[in-house]
Amino acid sequence: MNARLLAAATGSWLVLWLPPIRHTLESDMVLHMAVQVPLLIMLGVLVAVVARDREPRWLADADWLGIPGIVAVVLGTSFWMLPRALDQAVSDPWADLIKFLSLPLLVGVPLGLSWRRMPPLGRAFIWANFIPKLGAIGGLYLGAPTRLCAYYRLDQQELAGWTLIAIAVALGMTWFFAAFVGWTPSCAKQSPRRSGGFLIAAVGGN
Amino acid sequence: MTIAATAGRTAINPRAAVLAYLAVSGIVLLLMMLLGLTMRLAQAQWIDVSPDFFYVVMTMHGAGMVGIAGLCSAAVMWHFVRRHVPVSTAVFLTNLVFFLIGAVLILGAGFIGGFGAAWTFLFPLPAHSGGLWSVNAAAAYLVGLIFIGVGFLLLHLDIARGILSVYGGLGAALGVKQAFGLAHGEEGPPPAVTASTMALIANILGILVGAAVLIISLVNLYVPSFTFNALAAKNLIYYFGHTFINVTIYMAVIAVYEILPIYAHRAWKTNWAFYLAWVLSTVFVLTVYTHHLLMDFAMPTWTLVAGQVISWLSGLPVLLVTAFGTLTVVYRSGLRWNPAAALVFLGVAGWAIGVIPAIADGTIAVNSVMHNTQWVPGHFHTYLLLGMVAMVLGFMTYLTNPQSRYGVAWLGYWLYLLGGVVFVLAFLSAGSASVPRRYAVHVAQWLPYDRIGSIGAACAIAGVLILIVRFFVGMRTAASAQDPSG
Amino acid sequence: MTRGFPVLLAFVLSIGIGTLAFETDGFRVVTSAGARQLSIERAPQGVPDAQLVDQDGTPFTLADYKGRPVLIDFIYTRCPTICTALGDDFARLRQLMGGTRAHAAIDLLSISFDPTDNRAALRLYGDRFGAKAPRWRIAAAADQRARAALLHSFGVVVIPDGLGGFIHNDAVYVVDAQGRLARILDSDAPDRLLAAAVQVAAP
Repeated sequence: MNARLLAAATGSWLVLWLPPIRHTLESDMVLHMAVQVPLLIMLGVLVAVVARDREPRWLADADWLGIPGIVAVVLGTSFWMLPRALDQAVSDPWADLIKFLSLPLLVGVPLGLSWRRMPPLGRAFIWANFIPKLGAIGGLYLGAPTRLCAYYRLDQQELAGWTLIAIAVALGMTWFFAAFVGWTPSCAKQSPRRSGGFLIAAVGGN
Repeated sequence: MTIAATAGRTAINPRAAVLAYLAVSGIVLLLMMLLGLTMRLAQAQWIDVSPDFFYVVMTMHGAGMVGIAGLCSAAVMWHFVRRHVPVSTAVFLTNLVFFLIGAVLILGAGFIGGFGAAWTFLFPLPAHSGGLWSVNAAAAYLVGLIFIGVGFLLLHLDIARGILSVYGGLGAALGVKQAFGLAHGEEGPPPAVTASTMALIANILGILVGAAVLIISLVNLYVPSFTFNALAAKNLIYYFGHTFINVTIYMAVIAVYEILPIYAHRAWKTNWAFYLAWVLSTVFVLTVYTHHLLMDFAMPTWTLVAGQVISWLSGLPVLLVTAFGTLTVVYRSGLRWNPAAALVFLGVAGWAIGVIPAIADGTIAVNSVMHNTQWVPGHFHTYLLLGMVAMVLGFMTYLTNPQSRYGVAWLGYWLYLLGGVVFVLAFLSAGSASVPRRYAVHVAQWLPYDRIGSIGAACAIAGVLILIVRFFVGMRTAASAQDPSG
Repeated sequence: MTRGFPVLLAFVLSIGIGTLAFETDGFRVVTSAGARQLSIERAPQGVPDAQLVDQDGTPFTLADYKGRPVLIDFIYTRCPTICTALGDDFARLRQLMGGTRAHAAIDLLSISFDPTDNRAALRLYGDRFGAKAPRWRIAAAADQRARAALLHSFGVVVIPDGLGGFIHNDAVYVVDAQGRLARILDSDAPDRLLAAAVQVAAP
């Protein structure tokens, strides 16, 4: 089971790295930011799910309430939201390789390991920070008079802005309605180890 | 395992934490009232204040009062909701600490940095000071607001966690089933839980929107080439600002539900209408903000029409069930009036009366001639000073209940009530005579209103001072005492 | 919480914030254009000795300008938008410079990055704005390698606009009298552009 998941993650990583797929996903700002980057992070989360049992004890102890891990996630995602970093990833294969390694290993894995250590209030707080930040960045993309990325057109930038705002609104609504009806799927409660359980558990806030 | 559980084990006395909130609120309230008086005296030409400084004072008064309104009404909410759901005292105090950090930043931005773009920080005004304040002063103000917002966000999220752990969903805690007749009204959640749920829904959504526009404004300050649609920013700001200040009354009203029944020896009965009112007001409070943009002709017409209609309805459901409930609790109950009961009763009255000028101003035809007059400060001072603040003062008096000093408290009560009435009537009548609001310098014809308003304000401040001093005197014993029971 | 917690947190924070600071040149730039602008401003850099041909068919290199500062923009002649604005700006710059002797010492150069721009196209573009070599050359790289060297050295990124044209940087590049790329100016009103250029190129 574990070996199969790991193989699936590695395989997906290689597929994403294949030049035709890589160039297609990076040819458009929306695909780059809203598809490729999240997919790479998810692969890391998948690895974390597999590696969870082998996580060194000291790491689990030092990652108190998941704070260091979630800080790594916040800083790592902030880095790959910088227009300059996106430009470098598009223009320089080595920078792209750094992106392909850092997003799964330095963002996805800490997310997968630390999230379940966070108390409900901490998780809710991270969501509450993430949603407006996403919306604000989307708003700034819309308002920017010039292109932020040298490799993307203004219309792509505008579409990316709207996409981020749409994702922020959708996340906020989902979060709200899940809390309103008290939706916490049983799989999140009973087996948080299942991949994606962290997402669902977060939405329930409990 | 959770923060809440950890805090539960630590020895923070929740009652002392509530008193700390109220102590901070009392002091800041008085200081902000003095700033308000400064503006009235300056307009009355009884003291000399430079116009630049007037706008600093106006900004500080606005931000400070909105913040303190949130803080003291949150104390009321938390005090009563924790009887029903597990909440964390540590998170409650974290909010106070964040509030104080934010307050220091905001006061520094104003009194050191000269920031005077009004508390609503309308985009892109903070970045266009005309040399009156620096980029850093504007940033300090915005970061101060972010601190306060983060504190309240944590508090509401923690209460949400507690409510979800008991009621399963926010809908259940709001009493949606009871509202639509799917369950018995008598078996619904306690009023404190319903009100807290409404407050947290509205404030969490409002703060998320506010955070987004604050981040955008901050980026714009330092990288001016990053701009944003000013009308969109105004929408976001009022979505956040309106919700935050409006919700204070819904948090403070819990004092009415909890305190009056104690003195009247009658339970506050909940029925389907009560829950339906809260469900409707939850929807309205989140959709009514466009009445702040009735003068923005570029807004889509339907939003303004919606703003007008929802303004008429917005406060009514909860106000009606509360006013009706208050009267049923009090009527022929043999209630022996004391200052605490009188203050929360006054709060309901002030709220009910304060809504009337609001409904007028929410009407587009009236708004286009009244919105920039003192009619509007007249409305929100009635509603806040004689509504929300009265409820909180009632709560403060209730917690520090030394029967022997009722005489002093009654003096404070009447000074506050009479002064407050004179003060808001001066605003309202000046507004109906088209005296503009937010003017640092007034012409001779407006001075009578300003002078009567100043006298009323001074009188109200004296009354509040008495009530707050009385609170501080009784605070020590109140920390260890139980809630009074009549 | 263990003793490892503060260590791990400090480690994550220092690495993370350090990397962010590095990528943003100390939290001053977020775009690659901004980063390049800042690095040129700090340390002017040499320009390649690439072979160019102007609208009259005269071959030249950037080294030929040595001793005279030159303002460079990058265009393609079919461009319906930015390059037209840039052409107008440069024409206005010529007018402004005509007035005083000090300004007249600055040359203008518009380099086309479109391989399909032949001499006739360059001349047509120049005539639209009254450009006359050698004070204002409209030029194209002599070959593919020279073009690549120029674009790379000036940090110009050209991408298809999806409508058969291109999207590209609209900055104005100042090469000073020593033949170094000394400043990258955001396109601006011609008078302000000139003032900035004079300040860098002919102090």
